[in-house]
Amino acid sequence: MIPIQSFLVLSALLFAIGFYGVLARRSAILILISVELMLAAVAINFIAFATYRDPKAFSGLVFALFVIAVAAAEVGLALGIVLRLFRERRTANVDEANSLKW
Amino acid sequence: MFARLPLPSQFDRIIMTGALVAGLVMGPILIALIALYMAARISGAEVIFYLAATVILGGALGAVLLSNLVHAALSLIATLMGVAAIYLMLLSEFLALVQILVYGGGVIILVIFGLMLTNAQDDPVVTDGSQKPFAFGVGALIAGLFVTAAILAEWGDAGATLIPFPLFGKRLFGDFGLPIIIVAFLLDIAFTGALVNARRAESAGAEEGAR
Repeated sequence: MIPIQSFLVLSALLFAIGFYGVLARRSAILILISVELMLAAVAINFIAFATYRDPKAFSGLVFALFVIAVAAAEVGLALGIVLRLFRERRTANVDEANSLKW
Repeated sequence: MFARLPLPSQFDRIIMTGALVAGLVMGPILIALIALYMAARISGAEVIFYLAATVILGGALGAVLLSNLVHAALSLIATLMGVAAIYLMLLSEFLALVQILVYGGGVIILVIFGLMLTNAQDDPVVTDGSQKPFAFGVGALIAGLFVTAAILAEWGDAGATLIPFPLFGKRLFGDFGLPIIIVAFLLDIAFTGALVNARRAESAGAEEGAR
């Protein structure tokens, strides 16, 4: 039997790697990929807690499903915005999209 | 334009390199795990878990470290499939199938299309001070904090419980009926917004003339 700590440690490492990617990457699509990693880590945590600690109500499973649905919506919308940005500026580099920077 | 993208002439080289790297990383780990299993130090389930964890973390590192965008996106596939394996080990086979369907079938296709359509070949080189040391510090801080918390906390010794599929469906569409509808609207609005945004935007004058 695998203790729940194994899953939590795995998800913590995955979340940290995703966080590093969000901060260090410059391409908008790679930032999106890093956000996907963070969301996957969160979903692992939700399911681990649902099946180990909360088998009666298992709300975590439902929330993991919501996380997947919201992640899909986020990817679709963000890619639309990135395509628009690329068409207007000929770049997908987030450093160059700084019109709103004060 | 497509010089750096993996067109068929380059495919065999990419596949060979990827397989070589994966073999070099996974081979020793597999041998060590099998040796431990033979010595009855760890169970079969743990062998599978550590294999899946290696695939997930290796793929995630590739996704955030590789500078070629297509390689990073392919590396993301390995991570997401490993996450599906972890869902199976947590006895939630429905979510594992949804993960493979939605991510393997939808999100990856969208991301790779985004890569091709934006003609992005490499991660842009930072010219005015890299954020990487700061990012590494924050990532290490988060990892250390969460890992310490997970290991030190008292979790009891309960095992994973199989949630029967009919119960899951009742809970999903009974108690969570309203949130499901809201998520459906969210998806609808998000993809409509994406379509409107990504539509080929003519100049305003041309758009008026077309009407």
